[in-house]
Amino acid sequence: MSTLVLDSASRWFGNVVAVNDVSLSIGPGVTGLLGPNGAGKTTLMAMMSGFLAPSAGHVTLDGRPVWRNTETYRQIGLVPERELSFGYLTGRQFVRANADLHRLPDAAAATERILEVVDMVEPAGRRLDTYSKGMRQRVKIAAALVHDPAVLLLDEPFNGVDPRQRMHLMDLLRRLGDEGRTVLFSSHILEEVERLARHIEVVVSGRHAASGDFGAIRRLMTDRPVQYAVQSSDNRTLASVLMAHESVRAVSLRGEHLDVQVGDLGSFAVDLPGLARQHDVTLFELSPSDESLESVFAYLVAR
Amino acid sequence: MPEPSLGAGRPGVIHDLGYRHYDGLREGTPAIARTLFTTGLRHAYGLGRSGKSKVMPFLLLAMSVLPATIVVGVVVLTGLGELPVSYASYTNRTQLLVSLFAASQAPVLFSRDLRHRSIVLYLARPLAAPVFALVRWLSLTLAMFLFTAIPTVVLYAGAMLSGLDKSDQTTAVLKAVALQVLLAMMIAGVSGVISSVSLRRGFAVVGSVMALIVLTGIVTVVQNIAWFEGDNEAVSIGVGLLSPWSLYTGLANAWDTGVDTPVPVDGAWVPAYVIVAVLLVAACLLGLVARFRKVGSR
Amino acid sequence: MNATIAKLALQALLGRRRFFLLLAFPVLLIGLVALVTALLDGEAAYEVLPNLGYPLVLPLVAILAASSVLGPEVDDGSIVYLLSKPVNRYGVAISKWVVALGATLVAGALPILVAALITGDSTRATALFVGAVVAGTAYSALFLAISAVTRHAVIASLMFVLIWESLLGNLFSGIAWLSIGQWGLRIGHEISSALPDPANLGYAIVASLLVTVVGAWFAGDRLRSFSLTGDE
Repeated sequence: MSTLVLDSASRWFGNVVAVNDVSLSIGPGVTGLLGPNGAGKTTLMAMMSGFLAPSAGHVTLDGRPVWRNTETYRQIGLVPERELSFGYLTGRQFVRANADLHRLPDAAAATERILEVVDMVEPAGRRLDTYSKGMRQRVKIAAALVHDPAVLLLDEPFNGVDPRQRMHLMDLLRRLGDEGRTVLFSSHILEEVERLARHIEVVVSGRHAASGDFGAIRRLMTDRPVQYAVQSSDNRTLASVLMAHESVRAVSLRGEHLDVQVGDLGSFAVDLPGLARQHDVTLFELSPSDESLESVFAYLVAR
Repeated sequence: MPEPSLGAGRPGVIHDLGYRHYDGLREGTPAIARTLFTTGLRHAYGLGRSGKSKVMPFLLLAMSVLPATIVVGVVVLTGLGELPVSYASYTNRTQLLVSLFAASQAPVLFSRDLRHRSIVLYLARPLAAPVFALVRWLSLTLAMFLFTAIPTVVLYAGAMLSGLDKSDQTTAVLKAVALQVLLAMMIAGVSGVISSVSLRRGFAVVGSVMALIVLTGIVTVVQNIAWFEGDNEAVSIGVGLLSPWSLYTGLANAWDTGVDTPVPVDGAWVPAYVIVAVLLVAACLLGLVARFRKVGSR
Repeated sequence: MNATIAKLALQALLGRRRFFLLLAFPVLLIGLVALVTALLDGEAAYEVLPNLGYPLVLPLVAILAASSVLGPEVDDGSIVYLLSKPVNRYGVAISKWVVALGATLVAGALPILVAALITGDSTRATALFVGAVVAGTAYSALFLAISAVTRHAVIASLMFVLIWESLLGNLFSGIAWLSIGQWGLRIGHEISSALPDPANLGYAIVASLLVTVVGAWFAGDRLRSFSLTGDE
């Protein structure tokens, strides 16, 4: 169980503030660090991995600072975005070198084990510069996992990876998160984050905009009307009835569905079944249509 | 505004959202070449780029001009009858600075685009790869020429100010300038070829240093040994054909511009030197064109 | 001192085209000296060494070696893979320095010994070799430190060697006090008076040691504060 904690961390470069008073804590499981380009994701990851000092505030892993503390690397595995410039090494040699640098007691066995985990045993004998992008990513992850770290930090791991490899990677990360490791990955692609991480940290313009389960975040956004998609036996009647209800802001008919914008979720939820029965309408389906990461994100960024 | 036609297989359409199709006059390839030339020249001195890229060229230029101003000061103040250092000889003495300038700036013009593959953007325009290579070479040549010419101008101005004989000085200056043009073409060619082959900046620099400084050193040493120890004129002059700087000093010596070589260059050697110099430039240009053509067609 | 890092640095140095560039120096030097010896005599050939081999080829090899083991990795940030491990930063710097030093001695100092032996006088050859070893050690540490600081390490180091030591050093004799090449020669002078005597012996020894230790330490210190500042 390892927790990365940022406590009022800020980082500026001259006049540009890249990270502005961010406090968050990353616990076990898979967390997505989400934000548009230039939001400060890479700066945050650099600070968390001990490669950038915060200009203010603290970045600690289990209470110990990460900057200039080489012992923390026993617990951290870092998968940077940078390309490997060790093209002259084979996959196995690269992972083995990483294992040796960690001074693992049985580096050879650890190397083979981790290559199996990332499913790279066969191509491990070939040079790194003959690998495809997805294979290189897997080797990087192998190198970061070879010492069995409690924390895994990945900077934009799905950049340029083809869909099939991406699925493999996501499965791998999910498994690692289920094992209890703290896995943090950054991305600006919503589909990836949505599929992989339930818990997200959103960073916008250097500020920590939101944190938590994105469904929960959505519910916290009470100033935005919630969208629901309703399917019923008589949409039009239901639409006119709902329009009369005070919690409903707007209704619109869309093919088979009825889109409802609701201001006050509580009273709507209580009154809807009664209203439907009153007017002889059977409800077939009621689902939130904007509890997607995309809408959450759009709201946060637009602020 | 064009209306989209309905039905399957609709043709693509651009609505009037501010995009304007340009149907007017387009400037031709000469304009492109001209712009590329001026940009290259400016980049060689770091103009139009970040502050840090100006440091090296201007530092080297300053170090190269400083002794010239000192010489001018001395001449003016002590009323010497002639310049202690001739124009062509001054360039020879500052050859380390000149070579360093070429080694440091040739990668800026040649290696950068190839390494970061922005060459593709250049060649996607109506500018052929050979023309690109030649224009780059021209920019570097002019940049090198300016580097050697500015101290020469300073010296000349000083000579005029202290009232030295106008016609003598002018002949000397013109001869020096002609030699410097040839030198600039050779050095730009050599360092250009090396920089377009070795893409990492550090190694391009070391390569250029080998070709311009180490090779010159070797040639000088052999020239001295051959004459002073071996009494062999032919070898001493002949080996001077093997490096750009020794070609320069040989021709400068032959045209009586105040540069000394172990053995005076005269007779049939003079046209030989000129021909080899021109061939060297031609070979470098061919190399550049071939390299860029290969890279451009990928 | 970390064997894995040293092995990686060695592989980086040997596995590429730059290896041939590194090889070109000793081949050229020995070839030239052998040629002149064959055509004339050893004494004449010897002149190549103090004018070309020692002041130019040796530092160039040191520059090439030092910038190859550290420069490209710091430049594109892939040194992160080596630094995100519980390894002592100074150990990383020293491991890389040892490889650079080895290359400098083998491709820079050793050819000087061989070439000098070809020209005859073996005491003189030993003296020059010792000087080259000392100077090579100090050079490689200095250039390693410069590589850790700036991406223009090669040009900066070249300027030090060519402008400071060669150009200005030939004009002003006082520069001998701050010139690594001169320190090496002074130490070699103890073995054979064929070498010049530019500065105080004690000073030369201390200065060479100081530059070596400080250079390697400084490179390690820079690695401790290595920062990933996002997109280049």
